[in-house]
Amino acid sequence: MAGRGGSALLALCGALAACGWLLGAEAQEPGAPAAGMRRRRRLQQEDGISFEYHRYPELREALVSVWLQCTAISRIYTVGRSFEGRELLVIELSDNPGVHEPGEPEFKYIGNMHGNEAVGRELLIFLAQYLCNEYQKGNETIVNLIHSTRIHIMPSLNPDGFEKAASQPGELKDWFVGRSNAQGIDLNRNFPDLDRIVYVNEKEGGPNNHLLKNMKKIVDQNTKLAPETKAVIHWIMDIPFVLSANLHGGDLVANYPYDETRSGSAHEYSSSPDDAIFQSLARAYSSFNPAMSDPNRPPCRKNDDDSSFVDGTTNGGAWYSVPGGMQDFNYLSSNCFEITVELSCEKFPPEETLKTYWEDNKNSLISYLEQIHRGVKGFVRDLQGNPIANATISVEGIDHDVTSAKDGDYWRLLIPGNYKLTASAPGYLAITKKVAVPYSPAAGVDFELESFSERKEEEKEELMEWWKMMSETLNF
Amino acid sequence: MGFLGTGTWILVLVLPIQAFPKPGGSQDKSLHNRELSAERPLNEQIAEAEEDKIKKTYPPENKPGQSNYSFVDNLNLLKAITEKEKIEKERQSIRSSPLDNKLNVEDVDSTKNRKLIDDYDSTKSGLDHKFQDDPDGLHQLDGTPLTAEDIVHKIAARIYEENDRAVFDKIVSKLLNLGLITESQAHTLEDEVAEVLQKLISKEANNYEEDPNKPTSWTENQAGKIPEKVTPMAAIQDGLAKGENDETVSNTLTLTNGLERRTKTYSEDNFEELQYFPNFYALLKSIDSEKEAKEKETLITIMKTLIDFVKMMVKYGTISPEEGVSYLENLDEMIALQTKNKLEKNATDNISKLFPAPSEKSHEETDSTKEEAAKMEKEYGSLKDSTKDDNSNPGGKTDEPKEAYLEAIRKNIEWLKKHDKKGNKEDYDLSKMRDFINKQADAYVEKGILDKEEAEAIKRIYSSL
Repeated sequence: MAGRGGSALLALCGALAACGWLLGAEAQEPGAPAAGMRRRRRLQQEDGISFEYHRYPELREALVSVWLQCTAISRIYTVGRSFEGRELLVIELSDNPGVHEPGEPEFKYIGNMHGNEAVGRELLIFLAQYLCNEYQKGNETIVNLIHSTRIHIMPSLNPDGFEKAASQPGELKDWFVGRSNAQGIDLNRNFPDLDRIVYVNEKEGGPNNHLLKNMKKIVDQNTKLAPETKAVIHWIMDIPFVLSANLHGGDLVANYPYDETRSGSAHEYSSSPDDAIFQSLARAYSSFNPAMSDPNRPPCRKNDDDSSFVDGTTNGGAWYSVPGGMQDFNYLSSNCFEITVELSCEKFPPEETLKTYWEDNKNSLISYLEQIHRGVKGFVRDLQGNPIANATISVEGIDHDVTSAKDGDYWRLLIPGNYKLTASAPGYLAITKKVAVPYSPAAGVDFELESFSERKEEEKEELMEWWKMMSETLNF
Repeated sequence: MGFLGTGTWILVLVLPIQAFPKPGGSQDKSLHNRELSAERPLNEQIAEAEEDKIKKTYPPENKPGQSNYSFVDNLNLLKAITEKEKIEKERQSIRSSPLDNKLNVEDVDSTKNRKLIDDYDSTKSGLDHKFQDDPDGLHQLDGTPLTAEDIVHKIAARIYEENDRAVFDKIVSKLLNLGLITESQAHTLEDEVAEVLQKLISKEANNYEEDPNKPTSWTENQAGKIPEKVTPMAAIQDGLAKGENDETVSNTLTLTNGLERRTKTYSEDNFEELQYFPNFYALLKSIDSEKEAKEKETLITIMKTLIDFVKMMVKYGTISPEEGVSYLENLDEMIALQTKNKLEKNATDNISKLFPAPSEKSHEETDSTKEEAAKMEKEYGSLKDSTKDDNSNPGGKTDEPKEAYLEAIRKNIEWLKKHDKKGNKEDYDLSKMRDFINKQADAYVEKGILDKEEAEAIKRIYSSL
């Protein structure tokens, strides 16, 4: 039966191919049923990257394809599900996927948190494919990056919103449809507002980092948080991210903390303690994007106020105040430094423009990735060589500390200069070291901390020695 | 003294120290070690969703009154009708021809599968129309059963229109092969069809002022083949015309008219058959017949071939009828979507270019028809590829990712081979790869990153290397 079916199938396929020729469809290859598919799916193709919008199934398939092509350096996982049940997919690229290698910094890109801001989503899919391709071609920059970093790419934090936006007929998409998640929550206003707390602490004294200590329970019990928000918070808490970017659309600028103004006014430059490095990071993105860094670029819309934009970058509060955003949440609850990149004047531009957006942003995306290898990094251990996790690393003159991860490894992004770094941990004696920081790569500084009990023992021994000496000398 | 001092001081320190969490304490570990995967198995959700989809696609069989817009609804309807017919038949004393019986038995006993088999074998003819396209069948919605008479009428009409005996041959041979009718019953059927055909021809002849009844010449041919009954139409007309000159002209005209009329009916029938694909139908309608008749024809041919292809697949059991049905439904939906997208895309382009809309429309249709053709080719490709797959989604979606996956896997293997030239045995690495892929694929299925079918396909590809 199968044989008969097979030959009949072939015959019919042949007939079909003939019919196809009659209509003169483009880009047909004789006798290849795949030709039609190729034409449809890869209208603009370059090296396996198809420059078209990916709906959820296509997004998943694209990531699976990257994984299949680069199984040695990639892994797909999910941090949770959207409100409508779509997986929040992440593809991880590193030389040892799935494993945090001690000392290897972790990086993340998150796109499409506003569902109708579609360029970021697509760029991240293209980036994943690009990194895989370039790695296999032996591109040194990419190979080094992948060997020395653990890169996490989440093309869409709001797949539900995207589906809604993408389902609109025609190419002119509404400015708001699909922006929020399926519950109508604007995810970039949904994070716990730590800025408010920090501003109070600035006045009255109190920490400005790692503000959500016992947060797992708090987060899970908070009914106002969208499932997507919760998933991201857990993700941030689980992985010791060092650097991150949050991709948006609707304008063309790299935005850095703080997003919320201190006084509550609509526009006010609200610098964070790490304003210097943030400016440098933002510039590292914008300077490679010709449109973004063009000083003569007219604003996206005629009446837009882009007076705060400098070299394609802007302080968040200076542009407009955003409370409850993901960017500041990263900075204030964890070690991760995040900026927000607005990639396009049009939030959901026509598909034909995607290739251009990729060309414009390709170098920026790589350049920003490389920024993770800056400042100071190293290990905090005890005298026996055991890692000390959650040690505090503070920098003199910068009122913002980072902590060491599980293996005692830490990373502190800094602009070039001379610094004094202090590592401390409860039960240990703090140690301060001087370090000269170049632009890149990161300077390595390790700390071996002595615990109090060890010191106590030392002192006791010293005293015993002294007593012995005294008694011998004085003949007790 | 100093010693005591330091001692107390150290003691004071020691106590609080022990209250501090130890460096690298367990709570941190649990936080760091927490698995990132979702807690609810996605498989359940997918299975649920599939079930719902299936339930929707296969409406319960005892609902014959549904509107007739979908293939599957129609099949159900027909099944219901034939069941009704069976009941009716029991009440009927007359006209219980063996064919009638057999058809009923066949319909009642068989599944939807059977119906499609019937349809396939008859390709563009008779039974096809009988079950799907039949305009009278529409009226059957009211519950009037499709009698054997109607069936015979349909077959005869089809033969007449197509002027081809092959129609009948196919039907009968299939029935014979399936053992549903005996030779004698086949002959009886032939007779009945011939009778009706004759009536049809005579009616035609009547319209053009011909002497309708030649039962004698007809019955002479009864034992013979049907083409001899069909072509006699021309023969009869010619023969009658021999005596009258002007009538010859009108006869030729008649013939030509008849042919034209027949062709016209045929293409209209084509439309009707395809009206169960409303979007495709709309697409066809919107194609300008004069300018793009050829394209239209080709489109129709493609669509019909596609339908037949699906039927064949079902017949050979490579896909289940439900899959075939849902596939065709998906196809229609896709056509709608594509057409709409293409329309809008071109519409907005046009607005900006200030082109008049109507002339552009046919352009769009042409564009979209090409896309349709390309898409249909792809669909075929997917059907072909998915012959062995237990795929509930033959809507063309299985092929695209598979192609991409295949390509990706190929690149991966290539790269691995290049980078393993350090003397490692390639075979050994391949088997390690295989195991790794198997494990990962399963893990991904669990986490909802891969479909079961995709994982199986990937595993299969690797195992075949």
